[in-house]
Amino acid sequence: MTKTYEEIAALVRDTLVDAGSTFRTDKKDAYRRAIACERNEQAKWVLEQILANAEAAENAHSPLCDDSGIPHLVLEIGEDCAVTGKMLDAIKQGVADGLRKLPGRPMGIIGNDSQRIDQSGGLDPDSAGVKPAPILIRRCSENTIRLHILMFGGGPAIRGKTYRVFHKHSTQVVLDEIVSWAKESVAQLGCSPCTLAVGVGRSHFEAASMMLQAQVDGNYNEQSEMEQEITRRVNEANIGPLGLKGDTSVIATFMKVGPQRASGIRVVCLRPCCCFEPRIASVELV
Amino acid sequence: MIELTTPISEQAAASLNVGDTVEISGYILCGRDAVLPKVLKMIEDGTAGELGVELQGQVVFHTAVSPAGVGPTSSNKLEIESSIAPLSKAGIKLHLGKGQLKKETVEALDKYNSVYAVIPPVTALLGAKTSEVKVLAFPELGMEALHLIKVDKYPAIIGAAHGRSIYD
Repeated sequence: MTKTYEEIAALVRDTLVDAGSTFRTDKKDAYRRAIACERNEQAKWVLEQILANAEAAENAHSPLCDDSGIPHLVLEIGEDCAVTGKMLDAIKQGVADGLRKLPGRPMGIIGNDSQRIDQSGGLDPDSAGVKPAPILIRRCSENTIRLHILMFGGGPAIRGKTYRVFHKHSTQVVLDEIVSWAKESVAQLGCSPCTLAVGVGRSHFEAASMMLQAQVDGNYNEQSEMEQEITRRVNEANIGPLGLKGDTSVIATFMKVGPQRASGIRVVCLRPCCCFEPRIASVELV
Repeated sequence: MIELTTPISEQAAASLNVGDTVEISGYILCGRDAVLPKVLKMIEDGTAGELGVELQGQVVFHTAVSPAGVGPTSSNKLEIESSIAPLSKAGIKLHLGKGQLKKETVEALDKYNSVYAVIPPVTALLGAKTSEVKVLAFPELGMEALHLIKVDKYPAIIGAAHGRSIYD
């Protein structure tokens, strides 16, 4: 049954609030496991604070972090489903309404191209002045239209990296490079423990797209061998929560490898998602 | 747990050591990249008195203040970290943020009997501990203006004191 513009906007609004205020169940479980295993008392205290903050935010439907994030949207479309321009408008409206309801931090920059770069045009006082990133569209096996909303904070964007890696026909070489990047970025991030989101593609665009999809598809209870290896090796660096040392620098790794081509390089996108990310919630729009 | 209430005395600041867990209460200043250089300029120009707040014994929390709440930004951002030494000289006793500071910043804190504390980015918990919010200066900066807020038992860990850093 087709939903109206208003119904879609309302669903998107409430989903954005959930994304900005809620830890998924598998993430809560991962934090509880980390607290139980952490040997550094200061690190354990930080992990407990982060989990308590998540419970408080969920109960109040309020932001997990004052950097409430930039909305990033992934739209999944089933076999017989169609997306109209009006539906995209309703999604856009729902995002704006959700940012006002959360409330999101009013950090949208106004002005012309130059003013938006140097921030001389001032801040939009409206939380909805934070515009979403372009929508990523992909197929899904179910006959539905499903929207995933992810809220991207600024810290991981500062520490993230997208670059080519000469693989030398060895997966291990690429993993070593990812671990090297991750150790540096997690130490600099501040808001650890991280979830490492990794995309591997043929171009910068594709690698970043894979990184985004890795956050949609990732599960803290299901880790591949490569994901486990990256997590283990970064944790051996003893960076710890907030960089205060400890066993828990990384909670998990979410990695998605796209199609590759005959070439000496792979393009890798690494986002050291902060302790609250992935901030994600999903909704079906049909 | 060590209870700290602003204004923080010279003696209280001197007693703090790396790794101490503290709870901060009272009125504290909030500012980050955009506004801290402007505050430094006021100090240089001798006009800091216009802020209406005595800097001696104060806390500076490296955060924006918005309807979304408060939470630490990285204290090692250029404009923020470079403010720590001169603000300490001006009387600030505790800089509240996150992230590793340079060795020279840690030494400057020691020189002026000031400390750096790391606060978890727990916006939802901090919201329940924040009771008053007031823009002190540079309102045109919006969430990045200099704010004064009243806090009750903000949790933090001393990250740098007496020339030592928790990140060493």
